Amino acid sequence: MRRLSTYIDRELSEAEVRKVKAHLDDCPPCEQVFDFQAEMKRLVRKECCTDDAPASLREWVRQLATEKPKPVQ
Amino acid sequence: MDQRGVGMSSDFSLFERHLDALYRSALRLTRKPEDAEDLVQETYLRAYRYRNRFKPGTNEKAWLFTIMTNVFRNRLRQRPAPEDPIDQPGADFSIYEQMRRDGMPVHLMSPEEIIVDRGFGGEVKRALEELPVPMRMVVVLVDVEDFSYKEVASILGIKIGTVMSRLHRGRQALQKKLWEYSGRPKAPSLAVGAR
Repeated sequence: MRRLSTYIDRELSEAEVRKVKAHLDDCPPCEQVFDFQAEMKRLVRKECCTDDAPASLREWVRQLATEKPKPVQ
Repeated sequence: MDQRGVGMSSDFSLFERHLDALYRSALRLTRKPEDAEDLVQETYLRAYRYRNRFKPGTNEKAWLFTIMTNVFRNRLRQRPAPEDPIDQPGADFSIYEQMRRDGMPVHLMSPEEIIVDRGFGGEVKRALEELPVPMRMVVVLVDVEDFSYKEVASILGIKIGTVMSRLHRGRQALQKKLWEYSGRPKAPSLAVGAR
């Protein structure tokens, strides 16, 4: 289960990826667990990417970025 | 164009492209829009002040998130946050496994069917915001912001093993909450939750 998470996160070595893939190809129950956990990860991302910064905050950041540097004395 | 001093303001404007990512993460951490804005502003002010310490060509997003998580954690130390729910150690939890144990035909259902039809989708933010901060931070950085384990370790100043452990426990805790919100009886008790 832990290795499956790591596989989903694309953090396994190439050799490990091959092993996991081979197992998933052969094991429908495991593949279903994989599909579900992968979907849960996508869901978390989808649900949380809906809050864009308010326009006023964006404007504030832009102001900060374009501030004229203090003149050298 | 000079890399330091006068010329830097035009380079700094590139940091704006990470604003939405910073803001939505700040929201998950602070749970209030006003506090999130405050946190983001403080982050950009510091990034601006220390912009010369940023090495061009390196990971901007990670650098900004390092600043933000540090500011956030320092604030937690100064101002005691409302108590985070205590992390109950327990058996591994997975919605999929739970449903299977309950006798649901999960092998016949697509993940989307399981999630959408059972109403797990709408409560993700709430569930995430109820996780203890250390777990919540890692889940946000990996699952929402797509940082690698190594980047997260660097951002938070923790070991990769700790990243993995918090991520794993965080995801399970998240699923457990979603399960509980949906009114299912808490495993393994048979008591029906009020909804």
